[in-house]
Amino acid sequence: MTTRRRTTALIGDDNTVVVAGKSLTWRTLHKLPQLPSPAAVLVDNGADALAALRHHAVHGTELLVATSSRVDEYMREELGESGFSIVLPGGDVTPARLKRVEESGRAWLLTSGSTGRPKRIGHTLESLTTVTADQPPRTWLLPYSPGTYAWWQVVTISLTQQDQGLVVIEPHELEDWPLTAAQHGVTAASGTPTFWRQAIYRDSEALAAVPLEQITLGGEPVDQPILDQLRDLFPKARISWIYASSEVGASIVVHDGKAGFPREWLQRTPDPDRPMLSVEGDELVIRSPHHGAGLVGAVHTGDRIEYDGDRVLITGRLDTDEINVGGSKVSAGVVRNVLMGHPGVSWARVFARKAPLVGRMVAAEVVSNQSLGPITDADLVQWCSSRLPDYGVPRRIKFLDEIPQKETLKSDV
Amino acid sequence: MSSVARDRVRELMGEVMTAQGRSLPADDGAELRTIGFRSLDFSELALRVEDELGDELNFDAPGLRRIATVGDVLDFIEQLQTA
Repeated sequence: MTTRRRTTALIGDDNTVVVAGKSLTWRTLHKLPQLPSPAAVLVDNGADALAALRHHAVHGTELLVATSSRVDEYMREELGESGFSIVLPGGDVTPARLKRVEESGRAWLLTSGSTGRPKRIGHTLESLTTVTADQPPRTWLLPYSPGTYAWWQVVTISLTQQDQGLVVIEPHELEDWPLTAAQHGVTAASGTPTFWRQAIYRDSEALAAVPLEQITLGGEPVDQPILDQLRDLFPKARISWIYASSEVGASIVVHDGKAGFPREWLQRTPDPDRPMLSVEGDELVIRSPHHGAGLVGAVHTGDRIEYDGDRVLITGRLDTDEINVGGSKVSAGVVRNVLMGHPGVSWARVFARKAPLVGRMVAAEVVSNQSLGPITDADLVQWCSSRLPDYGVPRRIKFLDEIPQKETLKSDV
Repeated sequence: MSSVARDRVRELMGEVMTAQGRSLPADDGAELRTIGFRSLDFSELALRVEDELGDELNFDAPGLRRIATVGDVLDFIEQLQTA
């Protein structure tokens, strides 16, 4: 291999990185043994993922990093046949089946797989670094699973900007992350709405003790109640929600504390440096300068929108959001927003359930906020009846003991 | 397959009505149209019965017929469970 490799200036190399309670810097993170390139580095902890990323940035290698649990045997075979050596947790290496020239500086991401099997999307450190303006000094929480788009968003801020520390939260630390965050002075945190809801549900006092100045939500539809709850807990923090994906990058960023984005953004003057938003039918369509390799042009996101006055709400996936109840259509996301607006509800999932006569009915799973006293399904039916058409009212409501959460911090709502 | 007794189905039907802010009369001859028991309510009742049974009702077998009274609903659910 004689071609010149692309490397990145690591402006944040001396930023603090807290892993497993130890305070290090990017520079003093442990070094991985010489990694092959292209390599799929499968990790079982956040520190190894960061070390792999720094190695990639310093040496300009071709890298895919992911938790080993996200890459099954079938996908490992597929990666091997695509030229990737597989580096397992512990360091064992399975050489690539296909020998090929590396794409220097290429970073590969796996999509969340919410629309089927995870897909591989090509990026570079530059295309993943969407926050380029100077930031105030911050210490970021890193709760995301290594290798996801959201993980790359946070780590690139820390690696490419000064005074942007990181506190890594491993999966087993997720339940008590506010304690760790408070201990290490975390001032900025990004998570899914499910992540934030769980934190409020488990211990809102512990959460309020974290000195947060920047709160970011993304990865799932963001509803008004969760924004309002966070605003109550953190009256002075900037609260932002981001629409981002491996395919189109970070394309919508909203800081006004409201769900959805202003409708006027659909009519913005075209600018090659800025994502262009449009709607086809009910589907959000984005042309983004932050897109993955080969995804130039308009990308049909598969996400459903709904207009609410001067706002455009993103209600969920097109293929699962629409529920047809005897010919009348209702958005699961809209029903969910109504349920989440009930003060006694901490979390809700809305889905279609097969039913006689009408084909499908709206059903829901709910986690109640026990500190506000018990609620019944009749209470919720009554609440929804005054806010939704009759076919949109969930007729079967099951109460769960706790908020379910996947490795991606999402809950499949 | 176990079954949900007719009296229990009646109780479930009452729960469906109560959740909608209405009440179920004691008379099996009461007209569904009069008491406001609609197709959505019938569908919900079927789901409640399915949840108690832990199994789906088979709506293909008996063929739909005229269901006009509370008693018709109870008869029909009974028939579905034996189908």
